[in-house]
Amino acid sequence: MLTPDNRLALLAGARACIPLSPGILLFGMVCGAAAAGAGLTPGQSFALSWMVFAGSSQIVATQLFSVDAPAWVIVLTGWIVNLRFMMYSASLAQHLRGESRGARWLAGYLLTDQAFAVTLARVLDGRKDIPWFYLGIAATLWLLWQIASLGGIYLGARVPANWSMDFVVALTFIGVLAPLLRDRAMTAAAVSGGLTSVFLVLPLKLNLMAAALIGAAVGIAMEKIWPKSPSGA
Amino acid sequence: MAEIAIWGVIAALGLATFATRLSFLALLGEGELPLWLRRILHYVPPAILAAIIAPQILAGAPGLAATLDGPRTAAAIAGFAVAYLTRSTLATIALGMAVLWGLTLLQ
Repeated sequence: MLTPDNRLALLAGARACIPLSPGILLFGMVCGAAAAGAGLTPGQSFALSWMVFAGSSQIVATQLFSVDAPAWVIVLTGWIVNLRFMMYSASLAQHLRGESRGARWLAGYLLTDQAFAVTLARVLDGRKDIPWFYLGIAATLWLLWQIASLGGIYLGARVPANWSMDFVVALTFIGVLAPLLRDRAMTAAAVSGGLTSVFLVLPLKLNLMAAALIGAAVGIAMEKIWPKSPSGA
Repeated sequence: MAEIAIWGVIAALGLATFATRLSFLALLGEGELPLWLRRILHYVPPAILAAIIAPQILAGAPGLAATLDGPRTAAAIAGFAVAYLTRSTLATIALGMAVLWGLTLLQ
């Protein structure tokens, strides 16, 4: 029920999007533009945005569409990128135990890296208004993402090819990747994933899937061989 | 790929992603992921992000004879430095594209 306290939590969640919004809007536009640029129709490009609603896997699917990968490879590779949501789902579920089934399904649909990270920070602050705060941030992020996607889809088909705008995707991912490299194991996973995708050529465009699995294996091995220092993240 | 197949892929990926997000939320908050699975999931994002970035700085197709493209590699390094120091996607894209366009014009 939308009591005054819940309303405040909802608004606090929406406000928490403000510092995130430039990055979200930009990434959403890049994803929309990439899909439109890869030859998907505007309707298909927008469907990626609201059905999948996860930037990295939208880009993965877009790239695999453009190289004519088999349907099952696109679905499986895109899904592997999104498996991390299971971790967030497990963690968030502990704070939404009292909510109705409908509320929990909505929470699941709206789950993203950013909504989870900011909500978790509020949990660690000891706040009790988690469900409404989460709804505020997650729904606002969803709305920003859809608006940005539509903008990107509209612009994507209109940018001249000699501007090398495809490289914006690589730079966006560099922007997401660099802050993740906080320890040796994460860096090892990234380096081996990158090297795999450069040197290993597999049939059926299975390269990305192989890179993800090999990178994860190397990361885990590195963690075992060379445990991170206590100061590491 | 046929129009209808593209729609099928988008819907299948959307449903699979939704099922992943819903997994533990649907179970009323019971249960936890085993540690080995959390370990794997922790390392998949950096691996896949790097796997998408790396072929973009090559001069040709991936393979054992792959060579780097000068301007794109320089732009990626500049972008990485900015991203590492500022964590700003906007600044990363702005400087990276400026380097790429600048070096491409000079060539």
